[in-house]
Amino acid sequence: MAYSNKVIDHYEHPRNVGSLDKGDASVGTGIVGAPACGDVMKLQIKVENGVITDAKFKTYGCGSAIASSSLVTEWVKGMSVDQAMQIKNSQIAEELSLPPVKIHCSVLAEDAIKAAIRDFQQKQGAPGSEGESKH
Amino acid sequence: MSVDTDPFALFDLPRRHAASRDVIEQRYLELSRAAHPDNVVGEGTAARRAAVERASAVNAAYRVLRDPVLRAEALVKLGGIDLDSTDPERGAPHPTQAFLLEMIDLRERLDDGGPDGVAALRDDVEARCDAALDAAVDALDAGEFRRAAEHLVARRYFQRFLDETDSSAP
Repeated sequence: MAYSNKVIDHYEHPRNVGSLDKGDASVGTGIVGAPACGDVMKLQIKVENGVITDAKFKTYGCGSAIASSSLVTEWVKGMSVDQAMQIKNSQIAEELSLPPVKIHCSVLAEDAIKAAIRDFQQKQGAPGSEGESKH
Repeated sequence: MSVDTDPFALFDLPRRHAASRDVIEQRYLELSRAAHPDNVVGEGTAARRAAVERASAVNAAYRVLRDPVLRAEALVKLGGIDLDSTDPERGAPHPTQAFLLEMIDLRERLDDGGPDGVAALRDDVEARCDAALDAAVDALDAGEFRRAAEHLVARRYFQRFLDETDSSAP
């Protein structure tokens, strides 16, 4: 299967690979996996005054999974938490021209950023997803 | 589920993981002979196409039945859980956060360790991979498909790790 140029670029030159301090109250960590293939993805964000100022990832999986998470870390820097929460896997798939069999990689990246945001919100004790669901 | 998608039915085997290699080989030879496209040379297109499809189904079933992992995954699928699906109800069960975190940690240790460390790590994960299959088979024998599926998912993560260490080895 041929990867698009953007996938290859992110795969060969992944942006923002690394880790942030998991114990830092301003850091949210999302860890997700794809049971069908065994891919694992860790995505972390640092939030200051409601804005994501840094993002790091470590993904162990195929080129599309690495590219999807790399792209998301690029996108979310400078976004508000609310904006980042709106990222859809379809946007990732479109940007990277992912073929249908690799759509699940973009889903994984969307799940990872959402998980990171939820983790951050829980650390803040802020009215995150839990608070909303009580309405 | 039809014979087409149930390799055990196609090979007339009981739906259980324990299987005799000899019986599988014997059935494969019989079925392949019966389904051989040469048998229908001179017959119509439909008959020839049916023979090719039948031979292809026999080969696919044989590939599954002879492999202990694929056999276990096929039994779980017959039990209603498709490990290749992301459906929350009928798809692969999701591992715990702790398990995923450990899978990341294993990779980080892989990056940090020297050649000896990598070999030891690989042996350890290989043992856990085998143990996960054994645990899945135990669960299958007990008719607990959900539990079997959880072990098989864990096994896939271990397998993925092993594939990575093998491909990055010098």
